[in-house]
Amino acid sequence: MTEVTRPTNANAPRPRRVFRRWPELLFYTLLTVIVVLYSAPGVGVILTSFKTTEEIGRLGLWSLPEALRVANFTEAWTGGNVAQYAINSFLVTIPATIFSIALGVLTGYVFAKLPFRGSEALFVFVVAGMFYPPQIVLIPLFRLFNAVGLYDTLWPMIIVHTAFGIPICTLVMRNFFSAVPNAMREAAIIDGSNEWQVLTRIMLPVSLPALAVLATLQFTWIWNDFLWPIIFTQSDNMRTIMVGLASLKGQYSVAYGVQGAMSIMASIPTLIVFIFFQRYFIRGLTLGSVKG
Amino acid sequence: MVRTRRLWTGLFLSLPLTIYIVIVVAPLLVSFYYSLTDWNGFNPEYSFVGAENFLKIGRDPQFFGAIRNTVVWMVAAIFLPSLGGLAIALALNGRGFAGNIYKSLFFLPICLSLVVIGQVWIWMYHPDWGLVNTVLSGLGLDGLRQAWLANPQTALWSVIIAWSWQQMGLAMVIFLAGLTSVPKELTEAAEIDGANYWQSLRRVVIPLLGPATVVVIALAIINSLKSFDIVYVMTQGGPFHSSDTLAMFMYNESFKKYYMGYGSAIAVVLFLISLVLISFYFRQVRIMNEVYD
Repeated sequence: MTEVTRPTNANAPRPRRVFRRWPELLFYTLLTVIVVLYSAPGVGVILTSFKTTEEIGRLGLWSLPEALRVANFTEAWTGGNVAQYAINSFLVTIPATIFSIALGVLTGYVFAKLPFRGSEALFVFVVAGMFYPPQIVLIPLFRLFNAVGLYDTLWPMIIVHTAFGIPICTLVMRNFFSAVPNAMREAAIIDGSNEWQVLTRIMLPVSLPALAVLATLQFTWIWNDFLWPIIFTQSDNMRTIMVGLASLKGQYSVAYGVQGAMSIMASIPTLIVFIFFQRYFIRGLTLGSVKG
Repeated sequence: MVRTRRLWTGLFLSLPLTIYIVIVVAPLLVSFYYSLTDWNGFNPEYSFVGAENFLKIGRDPQFFGAIRNTVVWMVAAIFLPSLGGLAIALALNGRGFAGNIYKSLFFLPICLSLVVIGQVWIWMYHPDWGLVNTVLSGLGLDGLRQAWLANPQTALWSVIIAWSWQQMGLAMVIFLAGLTSVPKELTEAAEIDGANYWQSLRRVVIPLLGPATVVVIALAIINSLKSFDIVYVMTQGGPFHSSDTLAMFMYNESFKKYYMGYGSAIAVVLFLISLVLISFYFRQVRIMNEVYD
């Protein structure tokens, strides 16, 4: 089929190309206009974070700063409790990411390689948690963590993010393990390995891409989360970065530059993930959803 | 052999399932229980009030306002980010390096927190310096300038548009994944048969994007039921409840007014709505799998 349409001489240009040049130019012009409009909100934050309040009052939010001042960033870091908020966010995000993936590896392995009667229904039951609006369980969990004395600590967020991460981690790991040939497991079992050894020595080494996908997804979601910490924490020392950002907005209500600087600083970890692991992140979004 | 296999299955499932059931599933039942009480969140004593909270829901105009706003949000979510994402995916598919740069730009907001996005868009809508009003003035449309988030007529849509700005990247990514499954032979065959770009798009490409479309719409619906963070940051549901979503309303009743019993009843309604939508989605996915496999 393709052979027919391909010109015999690879260097000979297709005749249609001549007519396509104009639309091509038009296309990229239009696209650039759209991209500029689309980026406008973000550009405003970057520009503003380098401006003084006086400059903003005079020139507005979207003007170029007169000089590249980092005063807003230092003010945000020292004036607010931003360092503490960032530490709290890491203390929640890193363990919850690791735990939820570890649990998803266990369930994913069972659902992919050790099916039993009713395991398919159990799998749907677990994955259905992905669609759950968390408001449904807000009050009981609030009560639970109050009762066990964990209110206003970081523990509730670690526990809840681990639990709510199980559905997506199970889904991705099951899909990935399913693609690993059964013969690999069977050969190892015949050689005397137990399931734990199969999982850790055979399955995990080949599933690094799936682990990377989940790590980027979970890290981003948990870092960006806002709902759980406003329910489970109260004191300033326990705030995560997103709650801190929302509350500092009141403290610096007219200092737009400081607000902008804080927004940027709060986004740096997920931007790093975006820049270096974008491929995995996108694969996670499509894997987790298209096969759901 | 069978016994050790069972043992390992139990061993592997016990911890994850326990955590999942204790934190995700069981609290749902507790919500049902609280919805029949008048608990205020602090007082250890509360009494059983039967269906009173649900009767109160039936008489509460704010609840119906929140339902209406959630439906508006859902409908907007189905169209705005999806069509935008589809258009961009079609435009950028197979454009090589330049296309990838543009894709990254459209995709970037997905990795940002809705708190940050809310913050950014508050500036967009700023009455004096906001880009929206500035552009309107620039176009000579000074009459349309307004405090977008403080006006009950515009607050909801202003938040929805900010949210759609982020969600568009997600729709684009899923449509791009769907486009990779459209065989080049098919579009080329359509071209040979004399179809122009629009015809091949309508008759060949779009029909093959069926599964991706189902996913995009399902995600839009589910995410609109969850819409909370950005509302909290931008309007807190105001002014005068004009941008209250169901999730926001539930939070305000439970954690601002401490009507935990009433809040639980709203949570139960939210659960029932999502249950209907989720089962519909799973059914749709089954039909899709039958058609496309």
